[in-house]
Amino acid sequence: MLRDYLPVVLLAALAVAFAVASMTASRLLGPNRPDPVKLSAYECGNEPIRLPKGEKFGVKFYVVAMLFIIFDIETIFLFPWAVTFRTLGLFGLVEMAIFIGLVFVAYVYVWKKGGLDWAEGQGPASVREARAAAEADLGEAARAR
Amino acid sequence: MLPTPKLDFLPVLPELILAGAGIVTLLYEALAPRASRATHLGLSLVGLAAAAGASIALWDRTGDPTVLAGAIQADRLAVVARVIIISVAAVGLLLGTHYYDRSGDERRGEFYPLVLFATTGMTLIVAAADLIVVFLALEILSLSLYVLTGMSRRGQATEASMKYFLLGAFASAFFLYGVAMAYGATGTTKIAGIAHALAGQTGGQALALVALGFLAIGFGFKVSAVPFHMWTPDVYQGAPTPVTAFMAAATKVAAFGALIRVLDVSFQPLAWDWMPVIWALAAASVVVGSVLAIAQSDVKRMLAYSSIAHAGFVLTGLTAANQDGIRAALFYLIAYAMMTLGSFGVVMLVSVRGEERTSLASYSGLGRRQPLLAGLMALFMLSLAGIPPTAGFIAKVGVFGAAIRAGHWQLALVGVVSSVAAAFFYLRVVVLMYMQEPQGEEQEEDRSPLPRLALAVPAILTLVLGVFPQMLLGVLDKASVLRW
Repeated sequence: MLRDYLPVVLLAALAVAFAVASMTASRLLGPNRPDPVKLSAYECGNEPIRLPKGEKFGVKFYVVAMLFIIFDIETIFLFPWAVTFRTLGLFGLVEMAIFIGLVFVAYVYVWKKGGLDWAEGQGPASVREARAAAEADLGEAARAR
Repeated sequence: MLPTPKLDFLPVLPELILAGAGIVTLLYEALAPRASRATHLGLSLVGLAAAAGASIALWDRTGDPTVLAGAIQADRLAVVARVIIISVAAVGLLLGTHYYDRSGDERRGEFYPLVLFATTGMTLIVAAADLIVVFLALEILSLSLYVLTGMSRRGQATEASMKYFLLGAFASAFFLYGVAMAYGATGTTKIAGIAHALAGQTGGQALALVALGFLAIGFGFKVSAVPFHMWTPDVYQGAPTPVTAFMAAATKVAAFGALIRVLDVSFQPLAWDWMPVIWALAAASVVVGSVLAIAQSDVKRMLAYSSIAHAGFVLTGLTAANQDGIRAALFYLIAYAMMTLGSFGVVMLVSVRGEERTSLASYSGLGRRQPLLAGLMALFMLSLAGIPPTAGFIAKVGVFGAAIRAGHWQLALVGVVSSVAAAFFYLRVVVLMYMQEPQGEEQEEDRSPLPRLALAVPAILTLVLGVFPQMLLGVLDKASVLRW
C-alpha cells in the first residue's frame, strides 16, 4: 500500500534536489560583488519606515474574519450540492434547507448583536447600551489603576 | 439517484432536542429586546427535560444498536451517560443563573445556548459509533466550553479561556491524527469496524498502536489525566465557578464515555497492549493529583487537582478491560459528577461576588456562619475523600475491586495510598469550617434559596448512592454491556 506513495516521495525528493542544486550552483558559479545598494532590503523601492510590530488594528477585523469563514463554508457546501442536485433529490434539498436554516440563525444573531455595524453608535439600542456600559467600566478600571 | 441512507432519528432525538433548545434560546437572546434570565432558564430546562425523557425512552430499544449509517450507537451505555450529563447541565444552569444575577449588570444571555450546545456535544460523543462523529462531538463541546470559560469580566477568565483553547486545539490535532492512523491501519473509522479489522490481522500492529497512542493523548487531555493535565488547574480556577462546576463534572463523563467505547470496543483486540499505558496514566494521575492538591491554598485549584486524581481512579477501573471495569468506572463517574458539581456549587455560594473568596482561609468558621453550606461542603468533601457512607466510598471500592480482579493489585495499592494522602486536604476543609473561628470582617452572605435547592440534587444522590448503591448497580449491570 505504501508503494503507491513512491511517486510522491520521488517528486518531493526531486523538487528538493533541484532547489538545492540551483542555489548551490548560483553560489559557486555567480560573481559575488556586494555593495550597500545591493545589500539593502530591496534593490528597488523604499526602505520600510514603520515596522508593523507595535501597530494596532481594529479588533473588528476579527469579527469580519469569523463571519467570512462561516458564510464562506456555506458557499463551499452549496457548490457541490448544486452540481449533484438532481442525483441527491429531495433528501439533499431538505438537508441543504436545514443547513442554510442553521447558518441563517447565526446570521440573525450576528446582525442583532451588532456584529455587522462597522461604525460606533449604530446598531440596536441594546448593543449601544452594552457598549457604553463596557466603556464606562473600562474607564473606571483605568482610573483605579 | 443516490440511495438515501435509512434514517432513524429516534436514537439522536436527545441531541436534536438539545440543539433545538440551544437555537431557540440563541434566537430569544438575539431577538427579544429585554431577554430575561428566567425565560432563558425556563426554555433551557424544558429542553433538557425533554432530552432526558427522549434518552430514557431509548433504554428498552431493541434491534440493531448501530444506526444512521454506522454513525450512532443506540445502547444503554449512551442512555446512562446522557442522563448524567443532562442532569449536570440542569444543575449547572440553575447555578449559573444565580451567578450572573448576582454579578451585576452583565446580561450574558449566551450562557444558556452555549451550555445547551456543549451538552449536545457531550451527549453526542457518548453515543458516537464512528471516530469522525467522536471528533465532531468533541469539537462541539470544546468550542462551547472555550467561550463559556471566558464568560466573565475578570482577566483571569480570559486568560483561562485562551489557555484552554490553545491546548485544546493542540489535543484535538493529536486526536485527529490518531483517527487518521486508525484509518490507515484498518481502513475504517467505525468504532466496531476497527475492532473487526484488528481481530483479523496477524501481522505487525505498529500503525494501530500509533493510532491508539495518539487517541489516548487526545482523550487524556480531555479527561485531564497526568501528564496531559497542565491546563486543568488554570482553567478550573479562571472560569466562572458555575461553568467550572458544569465543565468539571460533565466533560469528564462525556470523554470517559467515548474512551470506554474506543478502548473496550475498537481496541479490544489490542487490550494487552493498551493496558500498561492506561495503567501508567492512572497511577500518574492519582499520585500527582493527590500530592499537588495538598499544596494548594485556593479551593478551586485544590478541587482541580482533585479532579485530576479522580480521573486516575476512573482509569484504574478501566484497566480491567471487561464489563466489571466498565461498570465500576460508570459508577465512579456518576459519583464523581455529583460530588464535583456539589462542591463547586458551594464554592460559588461562598465566594460572594466576583470570585474574591476562593482561598481556603475564607472557609474557616463557615460552620458557624452558614451551617447549611458548611454541611453540604462537608458531605461532598467526605465523599471526595472516599469515606463511608457516601457515594465516593462505594465508587472507590468498585474501581479498586475491578482492578484487583483483573490482576492489577499494584495499581489498587497506589490508589489506596494516594487516597489516604488525599484525605488530608479534603478533611482540612472540614476542619477549617468547623474547628476554626471565622476570620476577617463580616461580609454580606448569600442566602438565596434557588441554588441551595439545586445543590440538594447532588447532595441527596451522594448520600443515597452511598447507602443504597444496589439501586444503581442493577441499572449499570445492563448499561455496561457494550453491544456491537
